[in-house]
Amino acid sequence: MRCSSIIVAALGAALLAGCGMPRDPDGTSERVRASRVIRLGEIVGAEPDAQASAALARVARLTGAQVERRQGHGEEMLEALQAGELDLVYGRFADDSPWAAEVYFGEQPGRIGNPGKSERVPRFAFRNGENGWIATVENEVAR
Amino acid sequence: MSGIPAAIEVDFAYGRRLEWWTLAWMSTIIAVMYFTMGASKAMQSALIEDFLSLVPAMTFLVAGHFEPKKPTSRFPFGFARVNSLAFLVAAVALTLVGLFVAWEAASALLAQEHPTVPPIEIFGQRVWLGWLMIAALVYSIVPPVILGHRKLPVARRLRDKVLHTDALMQKADWQTGLTGIVGIVGIGMGYWWADSAAGLLIALSILKDGISNIRTASAELLDGAPREMDSAAISHEAETVIAKAQECWPGSTVRLRESGRYMIAVVEGVEPPAQIPPHGELTGKVPDWRLARLTFEPPQSDEA
Repeated sequence: MRCSSIIVAALGAALLAGCGMPRDPDGTSERVRASRVIRLGEIVGAEPDAQASAALARVARLTGAQVERRQGHGEEMLEALQAGELDLVYGRFADDSPWAAEVYFGEQPGRIGNPGKSERVPRFAFRNGENGWIATVENEVAR
Repeated sequence: MSGIPAAIEVDFAYGRRLEWWTLAWMSTIIAVMYFTMGASKAMQSALIEDFLSLVPAMTFLVAGHFEPKKPTSRFPFGFARVNSLAFLVAAVALTLVGLFVAWEAASALLAQEHPTVPPIEIFGQRVWLGWLMIAALVYSIVPPVILGHRKLPVARRLRDKVLHTDALMQKADWQTGLTGIVGIVGIGMGYWWADSAAGLLIALSILKDGISNIRTASAELLDGAPREMDSAAISHEAETVIAKAQECWPGSTVRLRESGRYMIAVVEGVEPPAQIPPHGELTGKVPDWRLARLTFEPPQSDEA
């Protein structure tokens, strides 16, 4: 049967491709590993707390990179993130922020349960679609 | 022309059972998709597509409820044409699905949206959400493939274009499911455009089916000649009946139109014969029930 063979082929391709997934369309993970630098944007007044810093230190160890910090205001940092000038931004972000569609907000380090939509939660923001990088950092944040 | 002909009663009942199964299975798929979709646009459109895909199944069941009813004083010709109306509704639904998927995919491509699929925690394990989406999509493919394959032969035997459109909708379902998987795998491999590009290709094929069905459904409602089930060409069966009728009544004009699954023939320019030719003589290999009504219009006298 034609349909089932297409499905089997697609599933086979999915499993083959599964090794090393997800990857980044704009290559953030590769760049971090190659340059050994994580470019972190810190929004003024919302510096990383102990748990966020610990997660960041684990990511740095995992990737063999050092954290390079840059401080600035919210929009400035998020625009730099979108433009690919930063790899991560730490700040307080709410799910209903207009930026929620432009960048990806991760989980709050050490938090159990979901925050309210309008609650400003201290967490990392990522460039949209950099799924490999998001997975690397978020898995450490959840540890 | 009321009730369902005995020759197709069993298939008709089977068609209705298949449509109830469709509603049941598609509801479970919608539930699974809803719980795994997260913020993924691709999964959201797959969900909306699944909702729209229920329309042909529902119209078939509604039409199937009315069609066997006896004519009433308000509907003296019975309800055979409910099927034609249902066909138009189903064809419009299929086209809407095509338009919707095309629009979603094209706008995501133009905006260069990079879809984010984060890891999540499930039963204490960290898993990339993409794997769960793929599992949900695999589940969403299986019932449409099976149901669609079962519906096609029944639709052909019943000459039921609603059921045929619904089988096409199931094809659209499993194709969008499969593209969804290709898209998620593409995202996983770092190709942000994979999802939308695959969606756009499938949307074009759904649109083609939908528009061709709208043309056929409109022709049916405009008393056009009966059309083939899967194209806008005039039905081979209609051509057979026209040729046979012209053999029986040379010099006549034979006009054929479609009323739901039935054909209605008007023979013009001959006096009504005292005896109608026996079964099979007019229809040949076409099932007898398909020619539901035969009327004669005598030649107009010169004085009239």
